[in-house]
Amino acid sequence: MYILVVFIPLVSAMISGFLGRKIGTKGAGVLTSGCISITVIISGWIFYETALNGSSTYLKLWGWFDSELFTAVFGLQFDSLTSTMLILITSVSALVHIYSTGYMSDDPHIPRFLSYLSFFTFLMIVLVTSDNYVQLFIGWEGVGLCSYLLINFWLTRIKANKAAMKAMLINRVGDIGLLLAMFLIIKELGTLEYSTIYSLLGLIDRKNLTVICLLLFFGAVGKSAQLGLHTWLPDAMEGPTPVSALIHAATMVTAGVFLIIRSGPLFEGSSLVLTVVTFLGALTAFFAATTGVVQNDLKKVIAYSTCSQLGYMVMACGVSNYSTSLFHLLNHGFFKALLFLSAGSVIHAVNGEQDMRKMGGLIRSIPFTYTMVLIGSLSLMGFPYLTGFYSKDLILELAYGKYYIIFAYWLGSFSALLTAFYSIRLIYLTFITNTNANKGIFRGADESSSNITFPLLFLAFGSIFVGYLAKEVVLSNTVSPVVSNFIKITPFVLSLVGMFLAFTVYSSGAIFKWGVYRKLEGQRVLYTFLNSAWQFNYIINNFFVSYLWKFGHLITYRIIDRGLLEIIGPRGASQLLIKSTQRASNLQSGTVFNYALIMIVFTSLFILGNNMGF
Amino acid sequence: MFYEHVAIGAVLFVLGGLGVVFNRSNLIIMLMSIELMLLAISFLFLVNSVIIDDLIGQIFAIMIITVAAAESAIGLAVLVAYYRVRGTIVVRSLNLLRGIKIFFVECFI
Repeated sequence: MYILVVFIPLVSAMISGFLGRKIGTKGAGVLTSGCISITVIISGWIFYETALNGSSTYLKLWGWFDSELFTAVFGLQFDSLTSTMLILITSVSALVHIYSTGYMSDDPHIPRFLSYLSFFTFLMIVLVTSDNYVQLFIGWEGVGLCSYLLINFWLTRIKANKAAMKAMLINRVGDIGLLLAMFLIIKELGTLEYSTIYSLLGLIDRKNLTVICLLLFFGAVGKSAQLGLHTWLPDAMEGPTPVSALIHAATMVTAGVFLIIRSGPLFEGSSLVLTVVTFLGALTAFFAATTGVVQNDLKKVIAYSTCSQLGYMVMACGVSNYSTSLFHLLNHGFFKALLFLSAGSVIHAVNGEQDMRKMGGLIRSIPFTYTMVLIGSLSLMGFPYLTGFYSKDLILELAYGKYYIIFAYWLGSFSALLTAFYSIRLIYLTFITNTNANKGIFRGADESSSNITFPLLFLAFGSIFVGYLAKEVVLSNTVSPVVSNFIKITPFVLSLVGMFLAFTVYSSGAIFKWGVYRKLEGQRVLYTFLNSAWQFNYIINNFFVSYLWKFGHLITYRIIDRGLLEIIGPRGASQLLIKSTQRASNLQSGTVFNYALIMIVFTSLFILGNNMGF
Repeated sequence: MFYEHVAIGAVLFVLGGLGVVFNRSNLIIMLMSIELMLLAISFLFLVNSVIIDDLIGQIFAIMIITVAAAESAIGLAVLVAYYRVRGTIVVRSLNLLRGIKIFFVECFI
């Protein structure tokens, strides 16, 4: 049972990938969705056994490699953290599988797509179920690879190629951090198994522990798109929408947070790193929220909102409340998958148009999708009694409870205002305002097939009830901090303010009177600054990538490869040989008197040398 | 008392050698220089055979003279044949068997 949950997705991925031609489009859809659904049931059972009944399970499958001092074993570890992640991964993945059989129905490569999705699910499960860092790293790299494959699914589009490469490469930057952390852990403790590491924590040198935690966090920054290495996430929206929902909202990006939660005992040893984590998390939440406000691409708004919510999770880890972070991760998985899949439904309805400015008025033609987006958005805003409320407000209260990083609370609360603003903006521009779409597209917009709407319905239930249901289980050991009611109510009030602000700005036409479209210099600069995501791409391209690029061309290619190595190496040696032989063959002039002279000179030299005793 | 004779032989040999080296115009002069060298050698043989009172040197001298005659006959024959082909006997033009030229090598690089 416990091993099945890992290997069923692998088998379905392999069958769908290698035999996709044989089993056909429909067969691949049924097979992969069925397999993942079975996995959902199994992971539900695992959750019951490990989380509810509190019996963690450890399985050692087989020895992997053994070099006397260091041994690695393929092992699975099922505790409450793993089983919670499993529930999220498998259920969202199953719904996304079903969804994509509808969404991708006119694509000629459905078996390949479903195979990638299943393979991704397998690797994600490997990531969360591993009992050591090496095996986690397999999953970690594997989901990066699957992310590459899936973003690049429509591989004829150059933008998709570029986005996929960007995602892969920026993830690699973070992976270096994780690898170095693993090396340091081996050096310090000689093992990479969680249970052994936790029991040996007292032995680690404090300074090295700080470095280890910083490197681990660097890995998490790359994977979870925290500030600095976040630029790949919005670009990754080039892939199909189910991919965005599965990988870039619910599962893969949460791997970074999962790593922090898993390494929680390590992080607890270093207050410096915890402060850094909180700082960067809060900044990410704020940054992504401000950027999301002015994006015009439907999916990019949601992508930045993902980034922002990941910032909340990391912030919660930074204030040492890992279970709260996990709780928000779970909740966010559901409502963000709902938002993305509904966005996909909208895009499906308007023939692939993604620009919100060219939508509007869709509330009449696709009311069901509208309802779904509304539920997802309210949940995202932390509207009371919806899923997001239970975790988001708790995170903010906990951040306030740690007085020494109080700015995290205010950044988070302000992000809550902005979150509400851009959610309502999204809904208003897409569904409520007068339409800007083509007549043909607008009249052709209608609800998608049941393959697409059923997953939405399930996720909507999840977005409403999961927070309430899972609260007691996940948060059983969290002590709510004692803060004043004023502080408790502030995020909610700010959210309401954001909602009403967005509503008035976009409904009263105020935006045309004094809003962002007016060509005032300051406003334009601010708008451009926010719309280009704080110019991060520009900064990184200009100050890092171009220099590296030039370094690669000028130094390593022109000077070292073409220069030093060729001049000293093969080409230089052969030329030297040829030149000297030419010079030697010039001695043979063909004229007799020269030969006679050479003979005489060298004979006399030889005799002279002999006489002098050489 | 024989040192002068040895010196004369040596000087004659060197003169012959220099004649071969510095002569650039005439093939006949070169042949003559070679003859001079051979004569110098046979002279030295004769002088030495007298000095050490041994007959072998004189026998050698006679044989060298024979060889020199044959050699100059063949050399002159070659010269005549060469003149028929080339129409000149300038030594400087005798350079068909040069080492490989540089521009030819560069084709292979």
